Amino acid sequence: MPLHGGRAGREYFGRNVFINCPFDAEYFALLKPLLFTVLYLGFAPRIALERSDSGEQRIQKICELIRVSQFSIHDLSRLQSSRKNEFYRLNMSFELGIEYGCRHFAVDHLRDKRCLILEKGRFDFMKALSDLSGVDIKNHGSDPARLVRCVRDWFVETAGLRGVEGSTAIWYEYNLFAEEFYSRRLAEGFSDEDLDMMPVPEYTGFIRDWVRARG
Amino acid sequence: MPGKSHHVVLNPNGGWSVIRTGASRATRRFTKKQDAIHWASVQSRKDGSELVVHKRDGMVESKSTHRDPQPPQDRS
Repeated sequence: MPLHGGRAGREYFGRNVFINCPFDAEYFALLKPLLFTVLYLGFAPRIALERSDSGEQRIQKICELIRVSQFSIHDLSRLQSSRKNEFYRLNMSFELGIEYGCRHFAVDHLRDKRCLILEKGRFDFMKALSDLSGVDIKNHGSDPARLVRCVRDWFVETAGLRGVEGSTAIWYEYNLFAEEFYSRRLAEGFSDEDLDMMPVPEYTGFIRDWVRARG
Repeated sequence: MPGKSHHVVLNPNGGWSVIRTGASRATRRFTKKQDAIHWASVQSRKDGSELVVHKRDGMVESKSTHRDPQPPQDRS
């Protein structure tokens, strides 16, 4: 049986994009356009939520996703606790560390890995991760349209993508997709809660179908 | 394929734009969202099309239809 939907082989390495981000309801407003942009540009997002096997340890799954993905996007915008007594969130920076180590110590194709680090405000990360000083980081200001621009431009700059639409056009496409996705699914009997809590593979499947239908 | 609609969406470069389904470029750009909604509403009434207003995050805020539920060719 092929591992992980058959997208673990070397032939998929250059298309896989590991997504390292928070998975809370507040972040979904950013996660949705992020997944859309990656798929719209012809890449395959790989995310810890893509499968839920109770027999698999989460850290093993994350290491596997990092290993099979040439590209990765790490959103550090939610590292900071926002309420009194709330814990500082470490998962995203921990997974970025695994990604960095994987690339740094590699002696094979894993040396070709490339990553995009996102943050909310410029130089916010310096307060928590000063080891990263000197690396290029993009900030999205928690704005979904700016996030689309960050991701699209990074693929052009770093992955050598050419001949793709501008970020404004991709943002408009995302808006059109969002409307059609909700109206069609509601007509099919999905509730608002079903759509808000939809499993990631189902949601990305709808994006794939929509992008394919748009030609 | 759904019929043509006018969408009021956030313009990432500032203000709000009106776009039509099937178009990747904005028809008109406005500083204020309310002005964009007003103009798109007039256009959709003229066209008998749907008006979809989006929120800043791209999700739908409201929809209103000006489509004729029974187009002339279907009337007997």
